[in-house]
Amino acid sequence: MSAVGVKAVVTSGRTLKQGRGMEIGKLSSEYFEEVSVCEMDQVTFDALGIEAGDSVRVETIHGSVIVTSRLDRRAEPGVVFIPCGPYANAITGSDTEGTGMPDYKSIEAQIFPAKGEKVLSVKELLSKMVEGS
Amino acid sequence: MAEGTHENVVCTFCGCLCDDLKLEVKDNKITDNENGCAISKAKFLHHAEDRLEGPSIRSNGTSTKVSLKDAVTRAVDLIANSKRLLVYGLSSTENDAHREAYKIAEEAGGVVDNTSSVCHGPTILGAQESGEVVAALAEVRHRSDLVIYWGSNPQFAHPRHMNLHTKAAGEWIKDPKTERKIWVVDIRKTISAGVADKYIQIEPGTDLEVISAMRALARGKILDIDKVGGQSVKDLKELVEAMKAAKYGVLFFGLGLTQSKGRHRNIDAAIRLVQDLNHHTKWSMMPMRGHYNVAGANKTSTWQTGYPYAVDYSRGYPRYQPGEFTAVDMLARGEADVLLNIAADPAAHFPRDALKHMGNIPIINLDPKQNMTSLLAEVNIPTAIAGIECDGAATRMDGLPLYLKKVVEPPEDFLPDRDILKMIYEGLRRVKK
Repeated sequence: MSAVGVKAVVTSGRTLKQGRGMEIGKLSSEYFEEVSVCEMDQVTFDALGIEAGDSVRVETIHGSVIVTSRLDRRAEPGVVFIPCGPYANAITGSDTEGTGMPDYKSIEAQIFPAKGEKVLSVKELLSKMVEGS
Repeated sequence: MAEGTHENVVCTFCGCLCDDLKLEVKDNKITDNENGCAISKAKFLHHAEDRLEGPSIRSNGTSTKVSLKDAVTRAVDLIANSKRLLVYGLSSTENDAHREAYKIAEEAGGVVDNTSSVCHGPTILGAQESGEVVAALAEVRHRSDLVIYWGSNPQFAHPRHMNLHTKAAGEWIKDPKTERKIWVVDIRKTISAGVADKYIQIEPGTDLEVISAMRALARGKILDIDKVGGQSVKDLKELVEAMKAAKYGVLFFGLGLTQSKGRHRNIDAAIRLVQDLNHHTKWSMMPMRGHYNVAGANKTSTWQTGYPYAVDYSRGYPRYQPGEFTAVDMLARGEADVLLNIAADPAAHFPRDALKHMGNIPIINLDPKQNMTSLLAEVNIPTAIAGIECDGAATRMDGLPLYLKKVVEPPEDFLPDRDILKMIYEGLRRVKK
């Protein structure tokens, strides 16, 4: 497990495929494949020494999650994107600052290479988060 | 239901509520969805897949199929014995179901919240602070010559929004390519930014600073700094001057504003910017509502409880307090002891501390399909899909109510949310007598 990471701000949101996957079914492979990814720029890939498709570990003060890396050619260093869903939630805090709204956008994180590490399925991730491990 | 072609069907995915779908129905199945976007096609053509198999009750980790009557009885029992019921969801079902949910919350002395608390709740808070400057979507198409999407990626989240409303010709905008400009403001270059006339990239978490600087510039103030949020003040001044020079401007804003640092203060500032611009020309703004009837949930909640979301009935009368009676806070504090979830999937969308508490309490889940919440729920009751298998009404992002059609029959014994909620409410009344 690499101890050297890249600092970035994680943001989340809807994608077309996430929306499609959600409507096909939350337990479908389409949904899993779209929400368990982290979209990053080429510079971040180079800094981490990994290729698109390798696993990365995204860590925030709220938690960490293993996701599959994906190249976003429009992206710039410093901001990475995880489609909204359980994998983004795994690193999101529940403090709403008295508004009801958690901080789903702009979460400070570190990205670590995690080549070969398994991305948990939606069911496995749910069990892990509910059990609190 | 009638086999063949169903025209002018309302799409029940996002807040656009596109009302021009043309569906083909054969053997009680939707075989074609003309005009729908990619997500709409997925919703309508796959509506029969991945459904909850029938009412079930989970005990010791094992889910057992039961009759609808037994599932409702168990739901009533859980609610009647709860000390702090949380009723949540509602944005992906129709208005009549909302009415029954509020009645249950009132009868049980519980809390009722809808999914706007994790989408445009801050928009409501901002509007309560500073008012609303609203437009109709038709007005946007007919009149606007400058459209801004701020913190919103419509090409993905509202796939036909641009094509139908901001890239389409209108009564006074005959050639939108030359007569209307579209700008996108965001922290990352989204696909929508790629098709806009101008992309304005700001640094993450600086929306409030940028909007406040634009307000100052709109009022003719001189700023003694060079940059705000990554944008030069010179560039911001040019943007503001172009906004003042527009004949009719519209600011569409998404969760990039409501879910980031500042939350409702971002909206408050954006509303005041639009108010400032109205000293010079005509500007309106509109939240890009996500779930198809989340705007309706805010309206029905206001009609019936007096407040748009985050409503508590524990004292016998409705009280409103976002941050206290909102679902994420209720769960993260470990306060709710039973969750009645209707047409939403909080297990897929709530942050980890809130989700963790969902594993500790009984959940009654009403949804047409399997989802992450159904995996945790003690009682699962499958429902008919509003707008496909039952009718109803929903509210578009600009506040326009639209009628949802029934185009196919639901699976046998799958009732609309409103009917099941009514059964739960009546059961609760009987138990509490």
